Amino acid sequence: MRKWQMICRLKLCSALFTVGLVFLVLPISSFAQNTVSQTLNVTVVPLGGLFMQSAPLALTKTGTFNGFTGTITLSYRARTRQGSGHGTITVKATSDFTPTGGPSIASPPSTADKFTYTCSGATLGVACSGIQTVSTTTSTTVVSLGASACTGGGAPCSTANPNSANITFILPDDPKYKTGSYSATLTWTISAS
Amino acid sequence: MKKTLGIISLLALGLLLTAPRAQAQTGAPTGTTTVSVTIGPQAGLTVTNSSTPLAASGSNFNLFTGTTGLTYFVRTTTTGGGGSITLKVTSDFSPTGGPSVASPLAPGDALTYTCTVASPGTACTGTQTASTSSQTNLASFGTNVHTGTGGSTASVGWSLANDPNYKTGTYNSTVTFTISAS
Repeated sequence: MRKWQMICRLKLCSALFTVGLVFLVLPISSFAQNTVSQTLNVTVVPLGGLFMQSAPLALTKTGTFNGFTGTITLSYRARTRQGSGHGTITVKATSDFTPTGGPSIASPPSTADKFTYTCSGATLGVACSGIQTVSTTTSTTVVSLGASACTGGGAPCSTANPNSANITFILPDDPKYKTGSYSATLTWTISAS
Repeated sequence: MKKTLGIISLLALGLLLTAPRAQAQTGAPTGTTTVSVTIGPQAGLTVTNSSTPLAASGSNFNLFTGTTGLTYFVRTTTTGGGGSITLKVTSDFSPTGGPSVASPLAPGDALTYTCTVASPGTACTGTQTASTSSQTNLASFGTNVHTGTGGSTASVGWSLANDPNYKTGTYNSTVTFTISAS
């Protein structure tokens, strides 16, 4: 041990290491007959991810008492299992419109005052059809993903990466609403299996 | 020992820097969106009858009368708001030789009206004289009022003198209703 310390102090340590490395490498390149196999394991699991825009979605008017509308583009990536896999993107109002006196998802002033949405343009999966109603109690589907769905790279996956879908929200303009600014929070969830 | 600590620090820093990037590439299982809407004062109306015939009963030059119905929608600002429904004769009776709003044959030949307005509006009082040059009041709204989802009703009861000097014939006029809210 002391000898090695002495050698290293004389800066011979790195030189010896280099020589040793060369000796170790040379036999491998010289004798290609030696075959070593290594099994690499990777478990690819179903996965889903959302990319949210940070700006609030402002609903704007389209005419006199015609209602307020706004469209958000949802970006996502997903991979579902082959065979029995599936996935969904859902939305739920986790915070109703505040302050009170205006629109409400849980307790609209009139039955026709439902906060609804339509879906279109899903680049992976199937967008919801018809008019869906946003709820504060249950999650409602925005995009459904089937088995073997995957984002990016082209067939059999989607070309788009990330994927996107357009969600248009519609809020009726009830004269009963008091004037003011109101906001609600929607929570999106993606799941894949 | 110091070198080892330095290497460990560098590795930790590398992990910290790469972790957010990995998250950004795969996204997150949930996300939130704040939906906002600004609701301002608003008003709208529809005239329920496409035309209003004025008819006179009897044979002793009784007044021509008729009624125009309206459905209105309104929402006024919670503080300092208000609104109104007004009307104006935008096209006088034609052809000439009969009644006229702008140039009646006699002072008593004016086109007049009375108002009936359901809540939350307040009807005009008494008898009003229609004009081709200025808006005249039909209803007014206070601050922080609104109609129901289906709107509220209002009507105008028209009255036109049956002047013997009018030539016989059919005469048409156009009245424009305007609702406003603030």
